[in-house]
Amino acid sequence: MSLASDTWHLFVRSIKKVLRNPILLFFSLLQPIIFLVLFTQLFSRFSQVPGLFPPGITYLEYATPGILLQNGFSSALQSGTSIVDELNSGMLEKMLVTPVNRSAILLGRLLSDAFRVVVQSIIILVLAYILGFTVAAGPGGILSMLVVIAFFGLAWSGISLAIGMRTRSAETVFGIGGFLTFPLPFMSDALVPTSAMPSWMATVSGVNPISYAVDAVRSVSLPSTALSTLSLSLPGNVLVALGYIAAIAVVTLGATLYLFRKVVK
Amino acid sequence: MSDVISVDDLVLVYADGTKAVDGISFQVNEGEFFGFLGPNGAGKSTTIKVLTTLLKKTSGKVSVEGLNIEKDADKVRKLIGVQSQETVLDPDLTAKENMMLQGHLHQMGGEELRKRVDELLGLVGLADVTDKRAGHFSGGMKKRLDLASALVHKPKLLFLDEPTTGLDPQSRATIWEYLSKLNRDDGITIFLTTQYMEEADKLCKRLFIIDQGKIVANGTPESLKREVGADSITMKFEEGSSSGDTKERAKEVLGGIEGVSKIIDSEEGITVYAKNAGTIIADIVRALDSSSIHLSSVNFASPTLDDVFLQHTGRRIRAEELNTKKTTFARFGAARRPVRQ
Repeated sequence: MSLASDTWHLFVRSIKKVLRNPILLFFSLLQPIIFLVLFTQLFSRFSQVPGLFPPGITYLEYATPGILLQNGFSSALQSGTSIVDELNSGMLEKMLVTPVNRSAILLGRLLSDAFRVVVQSIIILVLAYILGFTVAAGPGGILSMLVVIAFFGLAWSGISLAIGMRTRSAETVFGIGGFLTFPLPFMSDALVPTSAMPSWMATVSGVNPISYAVDAVRSVSLPSTALSTLSLSLPGNVLVALGYIAAIAVVTLGATLYLFRKVVK
Repeated sequence: MSDVISVDDLVLVYADGTKAVDGISFQVNEGEFFGFLGPNGAGKSTTIKVLTTLLKKTSGKVSVEGLNIEKDADKVRKLIGVQSQETVLDPDLTAKENMMLQGHLHQMGGEELRKRVDELLGLVGLADVTDKRAGHFSGGMKKRLDLASALVHKPKLLFLDEPTTGLDPQSRATIWEYLSKLNRDDGITIFLTTQYMEEADKLCKRLFIIDQGKIVANGTPESLKREVGADSITMKFEEGSSSGDTKERAKEVLGGIEGVSKIIDSEEGITVYAKNAGTIIADIVRALDSSSIHLSSVNFASPTLDDVFLQHTGRRIRAEELNTKKTTFARFGAARRPVRQ
């Protein structure tokens, strides 16, 4: 009982903080928005080169899922800064001298991080829609897309939270987050198909969890004709991605939980 | 159990080997205004953190309201209110939202919580700014809001860790007023730590003086001061002459003066205690002068809690408070004339 209500109150608090700092939300969206507008223009003709990009789909259709996951990835990797703030400001201690459910503190945080990624994704989707992006699987597709992105974000939040609790330094969280955010999405099939990559990069992309999540979102958004050319299937790719994400989450959230217990004690 | 807090031989050693609390014992009775006075790093905050379930003690027995602070931690948390040394508020939430959140964390809700929050915000004089974000508040307002948030769930026992550190004198006086009122009118037991003697003197009915993890003296502020038993005379020596040698010679001279009961060598000079400082001070100045020991200043005062601390530790609690607490009796410039024999 207190787990649910405590989580809810802490979740609401975090959401208020996000909404009351719209400038932060805006800046966090700046990069995906620039990518969306710039890349889809820059690569629009490339995508028509036969053999490089799958035929019959625009670059916008190809890359929007990639940009969504790239944003989910970088956003999740910043979530540790919030726990650093709670630790260093004394807010965590203030909570810990109340009878609040300990797990609710972590759960409220994770849920609000997931919520933030979903809000960002919806903003990106609206912008992409204006540019001509559609989701073939309809409203149910959009929903499952957001579920995949939210879980993907949660799994990576774990790493960021663990770094935050371990180092208690926002700079370190930003540094490591930024270091991972830059290369990893580019070494996946988020923006360019694996077939167009040098073989070593294709190998990296083949195991890159971002590729799996992007494929899952594509399997929902692209028309069925394009799915076969990309050898994607629905719901096969969604299930594979969720499985992969769950495996990552077990490790990252496990580490987070372990460190959080140590902090709480 | 009539003791609200009972501590027996508490020891806390941090992971890096620092012994922050070194075998302290004390009891706090219901309704008491109890204080820990000591300098920075004396172990005050550490003791509060143990008592409020934040830190696990290394050894010793501790109970709060008769409850084991480790086994019954959750029950203890329901009964206590805590204000930590750093003011902790969510700057993005309004005053009211900060209070409501604190209430929610104590499993309160509904009309009861809303009423309580309004009442407390009124009490601490923030009724006009309930919907302003805490981040925009002044230091004094933040402290008041933080204090109010520690009271939401009507705790029977309130822990205050240096509640006025960093505040201007006016804000400090306002907080003192609230605290006295809470203790007097609402019967809340208060455990306060402070490094301000004036604060301890004014608020606490019983006081423990703590230094380097150990209790060095305890009693009511009056009895502690009475223990000193004499006025203090503090003298500083002229620049360049306050070398060890001058001090040693001065101590020798002072030791020969009738009526001087105790001589303490501290970082700022020498303090002596005497029953009647007003009459003996002339003898002191004359005697030092005839031994060519030149004073730069002499102060005398009735005993304060700082003298209690000085007598037990040989150090002052806080250097910056020295200048405001004593009445300057005389100040000798460099060009002073020798006193005629």
